[in-house]
Amino acid sequence: MNRRKFLTMLGSAGVVSALASTTAPKEAKASHIFPYYPESYGVLHDTTRCVGCRSCEQACNEVNSLPKPNKPFDDLSVCNTKRRTSATEWTVVNKYKMNGKDVFRKLQCFHCQDPACASACFAKCFQKQPDGSVTYDGTQCVGCRYCMIACPFYVPGFEYNEAWDPLVKKCTFCKPRLDKGQLPGCVEACPMDALTFGRRTDLIKAARKRITENPDKYLDYIYGEHDAGGTAWMVLAPANPKGPKVPPENPVLAGPEMKQLGLDTHLGNQPMGELTYGALGTVPMIVAFWPVLFGGAYAMTKRREAMHKEEQEKTVRQAREDVAKAVDAVVRTIQETEGEGAADRARKAMAEALKARGEAGKHGEGA
Amino acid sequence: MRNRTKMLLLTAIALVGAACLMFREPEGISAAHAPELTDSGAQPAMVLFPVSDKPSRGVSGMKPVVFNHKLHEGKVQECESCHHTGDPVPCTTCHTVEGKAEGNFVTLERAMHASNIAPRKDGRTPQSCVSCHRKVYTERLECAGCHSIVKPTENDDWCAVCHADLPSLTREQWQAGIQGKLSPAENVAIASSTIASKKPHEYLEGSRTRYRVTLDTLKDKYEANVFNHARHIVSLQRKIANDPLANAFHSSSSILCQTCHHHEPATTQPSKCVSCHTPTIDRAHPERPSLKAAYHLQCMGCHDGMEVKRPRNTDCTGCHRLRTVQQEETK
Repeated sequence: MNRRKFLTMLGSAGVVSALASTTAPKEAKASHIFPYYPESYGVLHDTTRCVGCRSCEQACNEVNSLPKPNKPFDDLSVCNTKRRTSATEWTVVNKYKMNGKDVFRKLQCFHCQDPACASACFAKCFQKQPDGSVTYDGTQCVGCRYCMIACPFYVPGFEYNEAWDPLVKKCTFCKPRLDKGQLPGCVEACPMDALTFGRRTDLIKAARKRITENPDKYLDYIYGEHDAGGTAWMVLAPANPKGPKVPPENPVLAGPEMKQLGLDTHLGNQPMGELTYGALGTVPMIVAFWPVLFGGAYAMTKRREAMHKEEQEKTVRQAREDVAKAVDAVVRTIQETEGEGAADRARKAMAEALKARGEAGKHGEGA
Repeated sequence: MRNRTKMLLLTAIALVGAACLMFREPEGISAAHAPELTDSGAQPAMVLFPVSDKPSRGVSGMKPVVFNHKLHEGKVQECESCHHTGDPVPCTTCHTVEGKAEGNFVTLERAMHASNIAPRKDGRTPQSCVSCHRKVYTERLECAGCHSIVKPTENDDWCAVCHADLPSLTREQWQAGIQGKLSPAENVAIASSTIASKKPHEYLEGSRTRYRVTLDTLKDKYEANVFNHARHIVSLQRKIANDPLANAFHSSSSILCQTCHHHEPATTQPSKCVSCHTPTIDRAHPERPSLKAAYHLQCMGCHDGMEVKRPRNTDCTGCHRLRTVQQEETK
């Protein structure tokens, strides 16, 4: 086994150990399933009730003291464009054509059970709170905007206009109001009760009840119950009165319907973060463990080399001594039998022969 | 004018054609109203018995139903709407109480009441009585207003609309009917006499209810809405006055009231909306709409169902005027 082979083996051992550590936390995370906070709150958005009046947008703007928009809130033409939430508009209502009928949907942070933004943020700015809200604390934010890339709903907005310390802004679930025992601004303002606030578990029951009581009215799918690992804000969509009935709770068959409402049912029922937690979780492990591993390997190699060298030198020394002793013995014998001159010649010839051999073998000096 | 003759000829043909069309139509209508004949040659009415394969000594099972074949024939496009095999035989030929192989073991109860029938690949999806009626009241605009909000309560009264007592039916006839042995003449006689004895349905007189209701509990940003109560009722009643389906199933005279005045027995002194729907969401009943939402859901639900174009749902001042600052100060 030479040095290269040895190092290759060590390296592969290191990779295996790293892989083992990526899979190990996953098994340990068996308790890492939603809902994490069974008492958490949510909001059910019933799009069959929404008329697109933008009262929620106005209320959001007022309770959060956001800047006045260019177009007033009673201008309903803006609903026709597919707007996105931004740093100054934390919620928007868009109009969608669903099987030929106008359906309005409110867009805002879905407050995921296991938020992808939090999983992507290395500064730990995002946190899922026990009340259901996903909060953002900008004190450590470095402005990398990984959260905006991670969010499957394209929700967080960035203060591009801010020169100093731009932050990420998004719906806060009106956390300050919740803490005071008030409803979120948009929920309170909705004139149709298209937004129902309550415990998430109760909302799912309420949604099921509405679907059961009006099977022809609702699509039998609660968007957000399992999508992206479950969200605190959930959406009910109207059924297609003309088309065939979509079987209950089927994300594949409900997909084309939900897509018309701008909702993606292909996010899977696994939290987005779970896809990256394993890989990202190993980073500290690698940082801490790999230097020790490779440092140790290096030290071991060095020590082996030193030992090898010492042994080799010892062998060489012994061989030399043996040769010198043999030469001495031979020369002494010649001296006794054939006299001083012959001994001198023999010694010289042997020294030359050894020297020549040593030069050929690279490790011989003159005896 | 070479074409003058041609033009006159064409005009004459057109006039004759128009005259034919004009005179033929009333003729057709009067023929359809003739009491004794149907277009298809089927009996005008019949009693549908729950025919059973099992030998039964007494009368058992559900009460038989008098079916006005003639009336229904005029409402559907073709015979295949009900006779889905294309063969105009009685339903009980294949669908008996127990079900049999000819009817793919679909029981009589299912054949008449199934409401979630899987669409067939060849497009000939069978209909049941219930599924067809449901289609009517959700699709016809004059029905769809209320019925986008309320669904028929499927209780004993609802069953009894069809499965009614037949005073002229004797026990022997009933038993013979279940066994499929009642003579067609007797059957038609019983059915015809029952239909003839039906009285027209009467609604509570709309003009005698409250004329106007002022909805002012919530006025802050907007003025109170003055709801023209009587006009809404009269309009609804007029729309369905001659509708046999509505007349048959609208069991009580005050049933139209109960779309809005729901969850309480029919009364001429109904509770106010605010008795249950609190101005802000009730913490004990978060699922119950608040007063504002209750008004909006009820008004807009009905208007959307009937496809009432104006006022639009987002035209706030179409129903209640904006409240000005001066008015607030004077208060």
